[in-house]
Amino acid sequence: MILRAAAAVFVKDLRTEWRTRVAINALLLFAFSVLVLVGYAVGPTRLTLEDRPVVNSVLLWIVLFFSAMTGLSRSFVNEEETGTAAALRLSAPPASVFLGKLLGNLALLGVVMAVVVPLFLALMSFGIAAPGLFLAVLALGGVGIAAASTFIAAIVSKTAAKGALFAVLATPLLLPPLVAAVTGTQIAATGPESAAGLDAVRLLFAYDGLMVTASFLLFDAVWRE
Amino acid sequence: MRLVAENVSRSFGPRRVFGPLSFATEPGRVLGVAGANGSGKTTLVKVLAGLLRPSAGSVRLEDAGRPGSRIGVREAAGAIGWCAPDLSLYGELTPAENLEFFARVAGRLPTREELEERIASVGLDPRRLRSIRTRFLSTGQRQRLKLAYSVLSSPAVLLLDEPGSNLDEAGHRAVTAIVAEQRGRGSVVLATNDPAELALADERVTL
Amino acid sequence: MQVLGTAGKVVLGLGMAVVLWAAFLYAHPAESFVGESSRIVFFHVPTAWISALAFLLAAIHSGLYLKTRKMERDDAAAAAARLGILFCVLATVTGSLFAKVMWNSYWNWDPRQTSIVLLLLVYGAYLGLRQAIEEPERRATLSAAYALIAFVSVPFLMFAVPRMYASLHPDTVINARGRIEMSPDIKLVFFSSMIAFTALFAWMYALDVKATRLVRRLSERTGGFEA
Repeated sequence: MILRAAAAVFVKDLRTEWRTRVAINALLLFAFSVLVLVGYAVGPTRLTLEDRPVVNSVLLWIVLFFSAMTGLSRSFVNEEETGTAAALRLSAPPASVFLGKLLGNLALLGVVMAVVVPLFLALMSFGIAAPGLFLAVLALGGVGIAAASTFIAAIVSKTAAKGALFAVLATPLLLPPLVAAVTGTQIAATGPESAAGLDAVRLLFAYDGLMVTASFLLFDAVWRE
Repeated sequence: MRLVAENVSRSFGPRRVFGPLSFATEPGRVLGVAGANGSGKTTLVKVLAGLLRPSAGSVRLEDAGRPGSRIGVREAAGAIGWCAPDLSLYGELTPAENLEFFARVAGRLPTREELEERIASVGLDPRRLRSIRTRFLSTGQRQRLKLAYSVLSSPAVLLLDEPGSNLDEAGHRAVTAIVAEQRGRGSVVLATNDPAELALADERVTL
Repeated sequence: MQVLGTAGKVVLGLGMAVVLWAAFLYAHPAESFVGESSRIVFFHVPTAWISALAFLLAAIHSGLYLKTRKMERDDAAAAAARLGILFCVLATVTGSLFAKVMWNSYWNWDPRQTSIVLLLLVYGAYLGLRQAIEEPERRATLSAAYALIAFVSVPFLMFAVPRMYASLHPDTVINARGRIEMSPDIKLVFFSSMIAFTALFAWMYALDVKATRLVRRLSERTGGFEA
């Protein structure tokens, strides 16, 4: 019942997004501009070999993080701005709204990652030695970013400042998973999977689990405030 | 089911908007809510719908057959229908897609015929609107679609806030028809300043 | 009604004075620390403990607000977060001074330093959110939700992230071996200081909660939204 309603919310958002393409265009354009800037300013050859894993990991996650900050508040802010939130509040179970929006943000971030990550690897000649670890870090980092962003988006959509507040509130919450994701990416770039790499994955996994559960529990209070 | 309001009031910060009020709706009857602009009709209706928390008092649904059985208005999904000026439907979806979405999130899977019948019942032509997004409809057409949305879940209590705004003659007849239809199913709360609409009410609360 | 009577104020003032005197003139500097630098423990650890206590109080009162919807809970949560930031800044500054003496740099992105900055960011954002919402009930609800979700991520800052890097930070008071290793004079002054700072905090907190409540009541009466 909840899952079916969540699927309906997800499909509705996807359909609206497909017809307007506002969020995905903004996200991809932004990500691409930053990629060009980074590629031009830093480039593959500017860095010494030992600097590459560290700097490239940080740059990759900065690109992904700022892309998320430009686009992931859209779906909730839209509901409040166009006034459709009231009808949704009345008709849909709160849990299904959160789940649907979370899925939508995951899909959006997934598309951005699918475009940005290969491009980044190519533009920066950034080699990955442990692809399995790298994919795990990307996936778990993406879930963490999407979960925290979705919840914060629900909060800021009810304030007057909306977009301006989104990054301010989301950044401190996202720093722990980003630090872990950067560390994990660095390890994946330099060598085979190691205990430290697993540590990063474990940390991301714990963060994701905790963040999804907590925002799920708190969402009702925010949504029907 | 009866919608029971007990000593309900709502304030925004220090400003009391309405109340405290106590009343109850009865199945088959229409409760009119009258009051000048700014007297809090819209806020009252939102509190009754569970969209706003009352500052004091409570709003509950009560099974008419079993007095004392009480459901918080926020827990009673689908029992309340709502049409108000601050209601908006999705502009990028077609009218049928809008109704289908709201039925789905409430846990039902309506057929295309049911949806088109709903749309036709408020005097809109479902075939002509099949591929038109809701944001391209006229204000009056949108108001009719909102009326269709409000009775989508066959609610026990229907809350209508200025249902006749922006409607033509035929639109007003659609409002009357919806109120009549709802009488057979449950109760109506009708907040309006239109004397013709207030005439539909059996009881009246004045703010 | 006064939060703390005259007798209480005298006791608290004298107590703080004695702790100050003892911290500098009674306790001996600990071994294996540069010069007199170990004395910072009498101020650094209590302020850090108070900020943790304050943030815990902010989370508890936020949770209780969502449960009871009593505005008094919101006053208490806001006051706790404000004081938490104040003591967090004090802990950062004292830690930084110690770092300068021990390692010759105020700031070296030690995991502990990083996590304390993140804490300041989290609760700074909390106060920013409060300022951005005018309507009192909405402000209370949304900021309570944020305080709770932030509190979920705090353990990651405090424990998980620092563990991934080596830290220069001295052993915490109760060290990895589960014992308190301090000489008796240091131990005495240290725990007196903890008690004195906690009492000071309790007084400041009660005052701030009272002031916040009065401001809110006043704005309710005059019809303004100004907090």
